[in-house]
Amino acid sequence: MGLLTELRDSISRAASTLFSEQDPKRIGIYGPPNAGKTTLANRIARDWTGDAVGPESSIPHETRRARRKENVEIERDGKSVQIDIVDTPGVTTKVDYTEFLDHDMEKDDAVRRSREATEGVAEAMHWLREDVDGVIYVLDSTEDPFTQVNTMLIGIIESQDLPVLIFANKIDLEESSVKRIRNAYPQHETVPLSALEGDNMDEVYDKIAEYFG
Amino acid sequence: MPHQCTDCGTTFADGSTEMLSGCPDCGGNTFQFLPESSAGDSSQSSGAEPEPTPDSEPAPSVDRSERPSPGDSVAKTVGNAAKTVKDIVGSDPDGPGTSPEAADPLEPWPEEGPGPTDDQPDGTTPTAGAESTSADRQRRASASRAEDVAQTSARSAVVAPEELPESGTAEMAAGAPPADGSPSPSDSRVEGSETEPSDNDEIDRPGLEELREELNDQFESIRIVEPGQYELNLMELYEREEYIIALQEDGRYQIQVPESW
Repeated sequence: MGLLTELRDSISRAASTLFSEQDPKRIGIYGPPNAGKTTLANRIARDWTGDAVGPESSIPHETRRARRKENVEIERDGKSVQIDIVDTPGVTTKVDYTEFLDHDMEKDDAVRRSREATEGVAEAMHWLREDVDGVIYVLDSTEDPFTQVNTMLIGIIESQDLPVLIFANKIDLEESSVKRIRNAYPQHETVPLSALEGDNMDEVYDKIAEYFG
Repeated sequence: MPHQCTDCGTTFADGSTEMLSGCPDCGGNTFQFLPESSAGDSSQSSGAEPEPTPDSEPAPSVDRSERPSPGDSVAKTVGNAAKTVKDIVGSDPDGPGTSPEAADPLEPWPEEGPGPTDDQPDGTTPTAGAESTSADRQRRASASRAEDVAQTSARSAVVAPEELPESGTAEMAAGAPPADGSPSPSDSRVEGSETEPSDNDEIDRPGLEELREELNDQFESIRIVEPGQYELNLMELYEREEYIIALQEDGRYQIQVPESW
């Protein structure tokens, strides 16, 4: 019930902001699990508000509920851009608790995490349908970007006509290949970065202001 | 004249799929199964059946049809078939409340798939029986043995929920997913029984595969392979208006339908 109330509240908040004069755009941070979405959300939030959004982890599906950071004000070239950041659970077509057993997790915990992660994907997809004005699509640049999930999600985003930026994350790692991502999605702007190390964040904020301001 | 609508008395041949979407005459969704033997045994019941007078009570007639041979498997078949048909056709206006029952008729199908139980001697039944501890399953196995091929195939043909009389789309949506979810334990059981008698089960396989595919096509937004293992259809999730807010241990899930925001 608490969850319901929370949802209702968030919806009514959403409804009320619809009518406010200066709507901060709501930017969804999407991508597959472990791409660094929360690390990025935390980096942005810390840089501009001083707070974090949520815990980061190397275990996939750490973020199992969408988390929001409202009124993040990003200043660029003397202008300021206000956005709400929505950090979403990693989207995937399969969730398997056995994956978590490798991370020293008890079976019960792994099954619960798996169930919550699945709910999280449903929530993320729901947000994408109704509640975001723009998308930052985060990819792990050490991984092959040609996946069913990426293709499908980017296809959905395109069909919604949402402004989208592709972030090639983890460029601090040796195996990183930004080019591979650019080749995969040549129709979209790809911004290389390391959210963990804070590499290339200036360009990140420039692009955010440009696309979502 | 094995199947009869308990409302208007229209009868259907054994193996008929007509009634799976409700009685074409009166829309009724409760049927009784009248085996040939009961018609032969009791002249009273065979006389009563062909002329269903409006004042003939449906409930007693069901009892009568079951009474003639309470001990043998035919009677069980009757009860079983009647129950299954009732369950299949019964739309659940109560929504999630009736979903555990709604899920039940789906369970026996995979094992009773086209033919195999008929073709095989008792040899395989103990295997299936041993797999599940419930006497219920054994009853189902013996019931299906007594069915003829047409009926078995009719029973194995899945009725898509879309084909059933519409009863509130939101409730249908709420009721349908559990049907996908609940077989999850049985899903693994079925796989087990599939692999064990694999050598003499050739015909069974395509049927099972088909059935599973069909089920998955129907309820595909989240498929519960087993608790903790899920397959997600992103397009379905994206296109759904209702929002899934909680998966439960038994494979059911709760959704928030848009109307209730």
